[in-house]
Amino acid sequence: MDPDAVAKAFVEHYYTTFDANRAGLANLYQEGSMLTFEGQKIQGSQNIVAKLTSLPFQQCQHNITTVDCQPSGAGGMLVFVSGTLQLAGEQHALKFSQMFHLMPTAQGSFYVLNDIFRLNYA
Amino acid sequence: MEEQVDLVGKAFVDHFYHLFDNDRPALSSLYQPTSMLTFEGQKIQGVDDITAKLNQLPFDQCRHEISTIDSQPCSFTGGIVVFVSGSLQLPGEEHHLRFSQMFHLIPMLQGSFFVQNDIFRLNYG
Repeated sequence: MDPDAVAKAFVEHYYTTFDANRAGLANLYQEGSMLTFEGQKIQGSQNIVAKLTSLPFQQCQHNITTVDCQPSGAGGMLVFVSGTLQLAGEQHALKFSQMFHLMPTAQGSFYVLNDIFRLNYA
Repeated sequence: MEEQVDLVGKAFVDHFYHLFDNDRPALSSLYQPTSMLTFEGQKIQGVDDITAKLNQLPFDQCRHEISTIDSQPCSFTGGIVVFVSGSLQLPGEEHHLRFSQMFHLIPMLQGSFFVQNDIFRLNYG
């Protein structure tokens, strides 16, 4: 499958899950996964999902503007995303950038090994 | 106390943008034939084509100011991913351009790193 198509499919799945069922992100991370969220470092699927489900908003909607991907070697894929994040009740959407380093799973899908998220302030 | 990977990430970022802003052709020392750059959606492969692209950008002078640097180790590649955000000032332009960039650095035998993957995006709006 075309790597760009794989990256787009992953990004769609990730943010759809984030926006509809944040706890469902657990199966996209593993024990060795790392998230840096606005400078805070978190390691391992459980801790990462705990962080994401405890973010101070119930509902959100990600709108993706750009998706760039490149193979990282070792079968992995780097994906660089920019977009906006609309929180319920907030007038203005937040702009963000995020990078994922995906690794293949035995079942033929991908999990997130490295994840770095930053809001883009004006 | 800063972790090793953060120190490496910061040192690399300082070096990269110092070269970019002061001696752009010297960036060729940081890429190899297997390196990949995606610059505003345009995909370029290999040190020669990447260096050509960067040297041909439509400005002679620029200054990068870095706002954030986040680094993580990659257990499978032995490398480091570095995620940067900041602004780019071009001479004669009133407003800075904001950008985000990610690097995947691979260690070399001499203890330094080269850029295997590089993705650059301006942040509009």
